[in-house]
Amino acid sequence: MDSTVRAEIVLVDDEDMVITSVRAFLEMETEHNVHGFTNPNDAIAHLETHPVDVVVSDYLMPQMNGIQLLARSKALQPEAARVLLTGHADKQSAIVAINQVGLYQYLEKPWDNNQLLLVVQSAIERTQLFRSLQTKIAELEAAHGNMADIRAKLIKAFL
Amino acid sequence: MSSDCPSTASGPRVRTAEELRAEVANLEGRLAEADKMALLGRLIASVVHEINTPIGSVFSNNQVAAKGLETLSRMLEEPAPPPKAQQIVKTLRSLSDVDRMACERISALIRSVRNFSRGDGERPAKAALQDVLANSIKLAETSFRNRIAIEAQLGPAECECYPSAMGQVFLNILVNAGQAIENDGRIQVKLAVEDGWAHAAITDNGQGIRPENCGCIFKEGFTTKPMGEGTGLGLSIARRIVEEKHQGRIWFESTVGVGTTFHVSVPVAGPVVKGEA
Repeated sequence: MDSTVRAEIVLVDDEDMVITSVRAFLEMETEHNVHGFTNPNDAIAHLETHPVDVVVSDYLMPQMNGIQLLARSKALQPEAARVLLTGHADKQSAIVAINQVGLYQYLEKPWDNNQLLLVVQSAIERTQLFRSLQTKIAELEAAHGNMADIRAKLIKAFL
Repeated sequence: MSSDCPSTASGPRVRTAEELRAEVANLEGRLAEADKMALLGRLIASVVHEINTPIGSVFSNNQVAAKGLETLSRMLEEPAPPPKAQQIVKTLRSLSDVDRMACERISALIRSVRNFSRGDGERPAKAALQDVLANSIKLAETSFRNRIAIEAQLGPAECECYPSAMGQVFLNILVNAGQAIENDGRIQVKLAVEDGWAHAAITDNGQGIRPENCGCIFKEGFTTKPMGEGTGLGLSIARRIVEEKHQGRIWFESTVGVGTTFHVSVPVAGPVVKGEA
């Protein structure tokens, strides 16, 4: 995927320093908009009103854990890819929860920037392909509806 | 017979009560040291996790800074620097602030581990018990991982004590308090001096201690924790440190479903050393 495609990324971590570092890196390497939140409830409020391509969340946070946040994200925007950024000690809980939220990928702290970029880029590509597929399906359905309409009109006109 | 007990012409030498007391004291000291290291060993995974976040930031920032500087140096070759140059300078400044905070955090945690691991001297020494308790809180917090809020009111409490041993007492109680809280919870820690005694109270809102276990809590080898989470020695060693080493008192109050408070009181003037009374 072309890294110049502007995508919307939501980044949630109760540690401000993680948000600052990841945002600086992604903004340096890509043209994406990175929206950082230290409070998961603020991230949910953003997801309620803005279309997003990928949500990257920490696992252990005071108000709610990353799995709970990603479950809310799945309910609000099922097509937005979900990525968990966990500490090594949370790995087991994260693996158990992968199926719960249809996790796209998980990354371990300390994260590797190249791997992070690869995961985020492919997550965005997946989301945008999914959205374009949805549009095509909608167009096909609309065309099918039109065809059915024309067929009905033809039947009415000639029979 | 081992060489500890050399034989004489009339048979093995019977050791004096004084020698046996010294040996028991020595073994107790080694057991306390082993408990301290086991406690630190159990916390090490949490400490590493706590260090991973700032290290992740520093690594990432370093990579971004290198790339940013490269871009800036290319921009400097142009007759007029583009507006993006200012943006890069701003980003690099913010990353430099993050790096400083990250290093301070790693350094504070390492200091806590070092303070905790430090041994005590032969005799009690003047120490700020509030700092000792704060250090134990910092280490215990790593294992609470945002799930438990700690409210600490630590008044000044300068004491003649064995600070490292007292740190071990507090850490044992705090780790137990954290384990008693199943999900989210709260631990309140208070420290104050009254009538020549420094009194610490550590209250959790965990599951409480069942009445049938109340009489066994300070017994050696007693534990309700799964294998690998406790040795069953922590509180028996804590009692020995408080009562025998400091001539203080340690006790608890607990209600099932409400929580537990552990109290530790030690004389500010320190224990009365034999022969100096």
